[in-house]
Amino acid sequence: MASFATACRLSARLTARQLRQDASARGFRTSAKVLAAQNFTMPALSPTMTEGNIGKWAVKEGDSFSAGDVLLEIETDKASMDVEAQDDGIMAKITQPDGTKGIKVGTRIGVLAEPGDDLSSLEIPAEESAAPEPKKEASKPKSEASSESSSSAPPTPSSSASSEAPAKPAGKPKKQTYPLLPSVGHLMKEHGIEESAIDKMIPSGPNGRLLKGDVLAYLGSVSSSYPSELSTKIEKLTHLDLSNIKLAVPAPKPAKAVEPAPEPIVPQETEVAVPISMRAVLDVQKRIQSTLGVFMPMSTFIARATDVANDNLPRSKTQALSADELFDQVLGLDKVTTASGVRGTFLPQITALPSAAPSVPVKPAKQLDIIDILAGGSRPSTLARKPVPGLSNSVNVFSVKVPKGDEKRAQVFLDRVKAVLEAEPGRLVL
Amino acid sequence: MLRSLLVPRAAARSAFKQSPSSLPAVVAPSSIARWSKRGYATEAEEKDLVIIGGGVAGYVAAIKAGQEGMKVTCIEKRGTLGGTCLNVGCIPSKALLNNSHLYHQILHDTKARGIDVGDVKLNLAQMMKSKDTAVSGLTKGVEFLFKKNGVEYIKGTASFAGEHEIKVNLTEGGETTVVGKNIIIATGSEATPFPGLEIDEKRIITSTGAIALDKVPESMVVIGGGIIGLEMGSVWSRLGSKVTVVEFLPQIGGPGMDAEVSKAAQKILKKQGIDFKLNTKVLGGDTSGEKIKLEVEAAKGGKKETLDADVVLVAIGRRPYTAGLGLENIGLETDEKGRLVIDQEFRTKLPHIRVVGDCTFGPMLAHKAEEEAVAVVEWIKKGYGHVNYGAIPSVMYTHPEVAWVGQNEQEVKASGVEYKIGTFPFSANSRAKTNLDTEGFVKMIADAKTDRILGIHIIGPNAGEMIAEGTLALEYGAATEDIGRTSHAHPTLAEAFKEAAMATYGKAIHF
Repeated sequence: MASFATACRLSARLTARQLRQDASARGFRTSAKVLAAQNFTMPALSPTMTEGNIGKWAVKEGDSFSAGDVLLEIETDKASMDVEAQDDGIMAKITQPDGTKGIKVGTRIGVLAEPGDDLSSLEIPAEESAAPEPKKEASKPKSEASSESSSSAPPTPSSSASSEAPAKPAGKPKKQTYPLLPSVGHLMKEHGIEESAIDKMIPSGPNGRLLKGDVLAYLGSVSSSYPSELSTKIEKLTHLDLSNIKLAVPAPKPAKAVEPAPEPIVPQETEVAVPISMRAVLDVQKRIQSTLGVFMPMSTFIARATDVANDNLPRSKTQALSADELFDQVLGLDKVTTASGVRGTFLPQITALPSAAPSVPVKPAKQLDIIDILAGGSRPSTLARKPVPGLSNSVNVFSVKVPKGDEKRAQVFLDRVKAVLEAEPGRLVL
Repeated sequence: MLRSLLVPRAAARSAFKQSPSSLPAVVAPSSIARWSKRGYATEAEEKDLVIIGGGVAGYVAAIKAGQEGMKVTCIEKRGTLGGTCLNVGCIPSKALLNNSHLYHQILHDTKARGIDVGDVKLNLAQMMKSKDTAVSGLTKGVEFLFKKNGVEYIKGTASFAGEHEIKVNLTEGGETTVVGKNIIIATGSEATPFPGLEIDEKRIITSTGAIALDKVPESMVVIGGGIIGLEMGSVWSRLGSKVTVVEFLPQIGGPGMDAEVSKAAQKILKKQGIDFKLNTKVLGGDTSGEKIKLEVEAAKGGKKETLDADVVLVAIGRRPYTAGLGLENIGLETDEKGRLVIDQEFRTKLPHIRVVGDCTFGPMLAHKAEEEAVAVVEWIKKGYGHVNYGAIPSVMYTHPEVAWVGQNEQEVKASGVEYKIGTFPFSANSRAKTNLDTEGFVKMIADAKTDRILGIHIIGPNAGEMIAEGTLALEYGAATEDIGRTSHAHPTLAEAFKEAAMATYGKAIHF
C-alpha cells in the first residue's frame, strides 16, 4: 500500500473516484520504474462536475513542486479553483495547455514524476482513461480479479456494487514477490515443479497471492477455473451487502407537536457560605495604625487571606485533568505520586449580616446574560465581585458560588479564610 | 451581529478588570480564558472533519484523522469518551466476567487443584468499584489520546443545522455551531427495548443495568440467548443468581454461531447452572408484584407458562441510535431498521457525510466499527480504505470462550461449496490438560478441493485470543495446510488450533 502515498499526490480536493483509479491502477504494478511517472487527469472538484477548462498552469514542464503548491487553476461552470499538489514531484509533461476548454473529468491533462526523476529517460505512461466518452467510464476494465469491485459505485447506494458483474475471474499469471505460502512451497517440491513455473500460475488469492488451490489447478488436480470461482464467492463476503435496502417509510407523524427542543442546561450552582467575624482583623488594623502609623485597608487582609486559602486546595470535581495527569493515570502513577492539591481561583462574595452596622447594599448576583450562555463555561466562582462595599465591622458572610459537586472544595476554602482572618490576621500582613 | 455587539462589551469588561482591584492576580488569567472562549463560540471555523459520537467508531476516526494531519472535532454527549463499549459494554462486562469467574473458581474449583481457601465472601461493591476503575482509566486514556493527536473534543449533543453545519447543545450549557468540510456520523446503537416491559435498569434491565446491579438477585430471567445475554447471564449465575435464558430461536449464541459450537456451549453452560428455554417466546410481563411474572409460550404455539424473576434482563439485540440528530433537516435516509443508508465508501447521499459503526450496516461489533473508522478516514484522505467484512471475528466471553471468524457450517452448506471439516478437542491438548480446563474444541471448515479456509470456530479456553490467528489466515487466503505447516509453541492451547488444521487437510497427530 506504499504506493498510496504517491498516488495521492494530487490535491486533497480531488474526489475519491479519481484517486482510486490511480491507486488501484498503480497498486498492481510491480516494477518500480513504471511507478515513477503518473498520469495527471482532470480532477472532479465537485461531485457534479463532469468537465472543466484549464485556466492557467502555475507550473511549467520540468518544474519541481512540493506538496501544497498550486499546480493549476481549473474553471468549471460554477467557479474557478486552484488544484494543489498533495506531494512533492515534477511536472513531467503538460498535455493540455492553458485555456483548453471542455476537458472531461478523468482525461489526462499532464504527467507527474517523482522528485529526482530524470525527465529525459522517463517513460511517459499511456493515457489510461477512456474519458471522452463518459458512458464508457462505467465499463472501465477492472484491473485484476481481486481489485476493489465497488470502485465505480456511484454515491447513491441504491445501485450498489453487488449489482455489478464480477470481474472476469480467470486472471493473468503474476510474478510472486512475497515468500510462497508453506503449502505452495511444499506442493511444488513434492511434485518437482520448477520454480520458474510459479510465474505461469494464475493466482487467485487476495492481492494476487498464489494459493495452494492455484498450484493444484496448475497440476490439473482441480479444474483450472475453480480457484478463481471460489475467490469470487469469498470476495463477495468481503463487502457489506447493501443490495435490497428497504428504506424506512418517513413515519407519518401523528399531529403530535414536534418534540420540544431540549432546554439549554443551565449549569447547576450552589452557594456555600460561612460567617466570619472581622473583630480580630479590626484589632490588628488598629494596632498597626497605632504602632506603625500605617493604615492597612480591610481589603488587603481579605485579599491575602483569599490568596493563602486558595493555595493547595483539593482538586475540583468539575475540572478536567491535564494531559500529563491523564497520562499518569493511564500508567497508574496517579496513586504513586503524593496527592497534590491544586490552586483554586475562588473569590468570596462578602455580605454583612443584616443585624450589623448599616452598609452599602450588596448588588444582587449578576444574572447570566446571553453572552455568558454562549461562552458555555460558567465559572462564577472566579468572577470578581467587589467584596469591599458590603463589609461590616463584625460578622460578615463570606460566600462563593460553585458548580454542583464542588461544594466541599469551596467549604475547605472558606474554612481556611475563616481560620486566618479570625485567628491570626496579623500574620497576613506582617 | 453578535460579533459586533461583543467587541465593545468585551472592551468594557476588560477595562473593568484592569481597574485598580485588590485582587488582580487572581482575576486576570481566568478572565482571559473566558473571553477567548467566547470568541470561538461565535466564529465557526471550518474543520476538515467533524465527527458526531465519541464511541469506538468516533474516537478512533478522530485520532486517525488527527494523525493524518486533519483539523478534527469530535462531539460526544455522554460526558466520557469510548461510547457504549468502554462505558457500559465490552469493557465493564469483561471486568465482571473475569472477576466473577475468579470468584466462581475459588468457590468450586481451587480445592481440586490443591489450594484450600478459607471463608470466601463476595464483596459486590468492591467488584463494581474495580470495574469502574478499569472503565475510568480507559476513558480518560482516550481523552489523553485526543490531546496528543490534536483532536478538539466538544461535550454536547449534536444535530444537523445544515449540510455542513452542526449545532451543538453544550453539556455545560449554551450552544455552539461547528462547520465541517467532511462529517462522520458515528452515533452507535442502543439496546432494543422489549415491547410491553418498561426498562427501569433496576428490575427490568438492559446490559447497562446488568453491569451495575447493587445486589445479586435471587433469580434472573434473560430474554434473548445471544452473546450479551449469555455473558451477563454467566456473570450473575456465577455470583449466585438462578439464571434462566429464554430464546426464541432453536439455538443460543445468535445466528452467526456454528450450530455444533452452539450446542456444545449450551451443554457446558447448562452444566454451570444456567437454564435454557429455546424455541420460546415471551408474551408479556407483570411487574406489579414483588417478583416479576413473565408469561412465556413455546414459539410454535403450545402451553403457556409463567416464570418468576427478581430481575429481567432484556437482551434481544441493539438498534441504531440516531434520535435527535436532525437527519430530517438534511434529508438523510435510514432503512427499516433505522440504519443510515450508505454506499461501499460509507457515503450517504450527501457524499461529504459518511457513516460508520453500529448506526449503519454490518455486525454491531466494536472492532468492526474500529476498522471502519480507520478506513473512512483513509477514504477521505487517501481515496481508499480497507475493511474485509468476510474476516471479522466474533467472540463470546463466557467460560469457556466461543470465537469464530468466516462462515459457519450452515452458511457454507447453503452456499453450495463442497467443504471438509477438521476438529481437535482441547481434551487432547497438553496445555489444556495441565490447566484442568479441557472443555471445547477447534473446528475448521475448508474448501474440499483447494483446502482454502472458509471458516474457523473455537469453543474453549482462550478462544478469543486464538481467533486472531484464524482471522489473519482468512485475510491472507490461507489453506489449512498453511497453518498446519507453521510451528506453534509447545505446550500451548494454540497447538490445538494447528492440529485442527492438520485434521482438515490430513490427520491430527494427537487425536
